[in-house]
Amino acid sequence: MPMMTERKFSRRCLLKAGTVGALGSLVLGRPGPFISRAEAATPTLRLLMWQPYAIKETIAAFEEKFKAKFAPTFFDGNSEAFNKLKVGGTKDFDMVMADGFWPRLYFRQGLTKALDYGKLTNMSGVFADFHPDKFKLLADEEGKNNVAAPNCWGGYGITVNTAMIAKEDIGSIELLLNSKYAGHFSTNSRFEENIALMGILAATKLGTKDGARPDGKPFNPYNLTDDELAETKRLLIEQKKLLLTRYQDYDALERLMRAKTVWAAPEFAESYRKLTVLKKEGKVDFDVEHVLKPKEGGLGWVDTWMVSAEADSERTELAHAWINMFLEKDNYVRVVRSTGYGGVVDIRSLMSEDEIALYFQNRSAEASQLHMFDQPSSPEKWERIWSDVEAS
Amino acid sequence: MKRFPPLLLLAGPGILFILVTLILPLAAIFMFSFWRTESYELYADWNLDNYRTLMREPAYLVFLLRSGLGALATSLICLIYAWPVAYFIARHGGRYRLLLVLLLAAPFFTGVILRIAALQGILGPGGLINMALGILGFQPIAALMYTQTAATIGHVYLFIPFMVTAIYLSLVNFNFDLLETAKVNGAGPLRAFIEVTWPLNWIGTAIGIVLVFIPCLASAVTPRFLGGPRATSFGMSLGQQFGETGTWALGSAMGVVLFLASLAVLALMGLTVNLKRSGFTGMGTR
Repeated sequence: MPMMTERKFSRRCLLKAGTVGALGSLVLGRPGPFISRAEAATPTLRLLMWQPYAIKETIAAFEEKFKAKFAPTFFDGNSEAFNKLKVGGTKDFDMVMADGFWPRLYFRQGLTKALDYGKLTNMSGVFADFHPDKFKLLADEEGKNNVAAPNCWGGYGITVNTAMIAKEDIGSIELLLNSKYAGHFSTNSRFEENIALMGILAATKLGTKDGARPDGKPFNPYNLTDDELAETKRLLIEQKKLLLTRYQDYDALERLMRAKTVWAAPEFAESYRKLTVLKKEGKVDFDVEHVLKPKEGGLGWVDTWMVSAEADSERTELAHAWINMFLEKDNYVRVVRSTGYGGVVDIRSLMSEDEIALYFQNRSAEASQLHMFDQPSSPEKWERIWSDVEAS
Repeated sequence: MKRFPPLLLLAGPGILFILVTLILPLAAIFMFSFWRTESYELYADWNLDNYRTLMREPAYLVFLLRSGLGALATSLICLIYAWPVAYFIARHGGRYRLLLVLLLAAPFFTGVILRIAALQGILGPGGLINMALGILGFQPIAALMYTQTAATIGHVYLFIPFMVTAIYLSLVNFNFDLLETAKVNGAGPLRAFIEVTWPLNWIGTAIGIVLVFIPCLASAVTPRFLGGPRATSFGMSLGQQFGETGTWALGSAMGVVLFLASLAVLALMGLTVNLKRSGFTGMGTR
């Protein structure tokens, strides 16, 4: 008997049993014989998304209605999310967000799958300007597959404190290079928008914007020639001397504008909307204006939802359900009020006149006049330019 | 029966941990640094282009130099501040010594972002200092925020506890009676410090310098939030390669350069330490 006990609990015996158990668990794909994974009972929708869209009430309603778990991971810029899926694979996410030309790139690279618009009944409430037949970037190049569903839209316009900036200086990208206001500008820290916006001005100055392009396509600030890039770099270095800082988030920009330290900043209109509301409430004593499309041209975006290529049928259904629920009018009022972005869903009947103006509800046609966010023609070349600017 | 040597069994998990969390990622970074990225794709085309770029393009040298000088300034300020504090605690702290040292760690009870946000609230254009100056009728100090100076202030604030702790740990093992001996032999307080206290505690100081200098060299968050447009550091640029720009290969080469620079600092500091003179007992050779 003692011998048996010794044999039973010897280290070798335990190691053997442990190894067999671990291998068994691996083979069966479960952590142990009596433990089953929670997601077997509760389906989980895993999203790679922008944080402002993770609205607590919407998520709670979704989880309640579909008895599912909402598991978001947040990112900042398009390239960051794209890199995550490209390098890490699509198996970790069921949905991903992007804007501009990016949904096509995702689809072309096999990272996402086509959407079934038949399941998105609430697309009926979306402005016609944001349906794939008018807003082509929601479909692939051949127009055969709808690769994304619209969400919110906006521009990368310039928010201006009109008490500090003269009226005649507003309306052009050139404002951001006006030394009269040195030390009172701020831009974001992302290389793509900085280069693309200044690229529009550079091409305008060089007179190459409206002429024939080397690629035979219309001007795209994400596809600049070497001369345009060189001019862009020069302008960005010139601009840098006038900057107070590159803001890291919109709260920071709002604080700086509220303190009247920053008078003009290119942004996604979030600070503009917050400051407009604060003015109405009498909490700030100056007016702000947002130039959506400067006279040289502007950048725009339409945020979209996409479904990951490796999402299984259950999660694909859930993804469609999420999009559909998100676009539902009552929820969408909450979305624009919470995010402060322009709405793609026509909710004018549910909003005040002020809100209609604030959330661009009457300006959906302008989206097509903006240069949509795109992948830089050469991220390597753009990185070098941005490093030169930052080192200057 | 052949048995595993107990030492191997004990060290095994540690070795495995270091292998998986340190050696393998480092090896991957080293490998990627000889590859190429194009439009967010990594290609295994073995070449030295990334290192050539880092050596030829002035921008990256500027980032490295900026970070190096920032780290040096931070280390010096921390050193000057930490010595009297650590000395006071070790010499006069009495039974409160441990408590005083633990208090130094109080800022670590919160996250780094929160601590930087607090600094923004103090140093910012509408922050406490400038607000107070405004109330007193003075002009605000622009250099307090969004400058290299602000980034250095942030670094000093974040890293000073490391320096104080390292010097303190050295001083608690120091025999202060030696100062009496120096005094009896005619040495003044300054000479006693230079010839006795400083050299015999150099190992703690050196460890403190390393603990401050190396993280400062790689720092990205502090200059990003406090530094402004003219304070882009090597760490910030490196972080961007793995995020926004997706230029992983160049980022990996920058990582290797940073690793080698840190090793060089470590080696340099190691060369200055005389273990026998410092009173270090960890080598078991005395």
